[in-house]
Amino acid sequence: MAALCGRLLSCGGWFPPHQVVRHGSKAVTRHRKPMHILRQKLLAVTEYIPPKPAIPERCIKAPKKEVQEPSGFEKLLRREVEVTFNENKMITVFQNNSIKSEDLKLLRHRLLKHDIRMKFFPNQILRSYLGNTKYRNLLPLFIGRNIIIVSKEPKAKELLQTLRNTTQISLLGACIEDVLFSRQGVVNYSRLPGMQVVRGEIVSGLTLMTSQTCQLLQSGPVHLAALLEQYLKQQSEAATGLKGTESLEQKEIQGSPAS
Amino acid sequence: MAAGRGSVILKTVKEIIVQFCPFESNVRGAREFLAAIGTEKARLTNSNCRIVADIKHDETEPVISIIFNDGERLIMKAANLTSREMLSFFDERCFAKDPQAHEKASKKSH
Repeated sequence: MAALCGRLLSCGGWFPPHQVVRHGSKAVTRHRKPMHILRQKLLAVTEYIPPKPAIPERCIKAPKKEVQEPSGFEKLLRREVEVTFNENKMITVFQNNSIKSEDLKLLRHRLLKHDIRMKFFPNQILRSYLGNTKYRNLLPLFIGRNIIIVSKEPKAKELLQTLRNTTQISLLGACIEDVLFSRQGVVNYSRLPGMQVVRGEIVSGLTLMTSQTCQLLQSGPVHLAALLEQYLKQQSEAATGLKGTESLEQKEIQGSPAS
Repeated sequence: MAAGRGSVILKTVKEIIVQFCPFESNVRGAREFLAAIGTEKARLTNSNCRIVADIKHDETEPVISIIFNDGERLIMKAANLTSREMLSFFDERCFAKDPQAHEKASKKSH
């Protein structure tokens, strides 16, 4: 400061070329020193603006589709869906027309007696799983609120009987033993006789022809034998008839001379 | 809506038949309509009203036919309609038939 004052006096009283602006707080502060408004304005005006390309990037680059990883719960549900579809032979889809929860509980209880289970899964997970499997034709059924009723053995009859009087859930479709059925199809399936009866019918139908072979082979000679017997009978009747007429004539002759 | 948000009043309705083929792709409206009228609240408004879901498999268009108490029939072809549109239209017709029932119901809910 003293050296500066000395130089000023030696210049002959002109305005000093350097002005000390070091006032206010110290230069090196522990907090961030707020920028002077003039400095701020200068920096704002002299900011770097990068040159823009002729075609903006967003017109060229394809938008990135964010693939969200499924959460743990979703993975669990997906596993459950897989297990359900693999284990159970009969899978039916019903529409839930806002059934009361008490009625639902009763229904569940009644179905459990026949070892038929009710399952609820979110449509999104079902769609993502079923799209790649052999059940893809069931996909259009999963809209809105649904109930999936599954059973290890195909018990369509018991199911329909239990659900006969409930209007609040309606059968949409089913997949029984890898065959797709509509509602009418399930009704027809339930009317089919059991496996034992069907097998018995097939066996009896096949053996019907073979059981007739014996009869067919014997029919010729049997017919011949019958015809010959009849011929013999006729012959013997004819012979006895002649003898009878002869005896009658003799009796008449004997009778007439006697009279 | 005249009847109050979301609720359906079936006082003037005798029968509702909802026909659709579930394997078609245009049945969302019909199914949602069926779910909306099948709620306990809606059923309680008229226990004599018959609601029938006729599920077929012959690739026909979904159709909702409603028979009112005075014999009027309302047929809605639901292939290209949303459930909301159908419900609002149905509500309008019900309100036109019996505005008093609707006012009572809205008073009760308030």
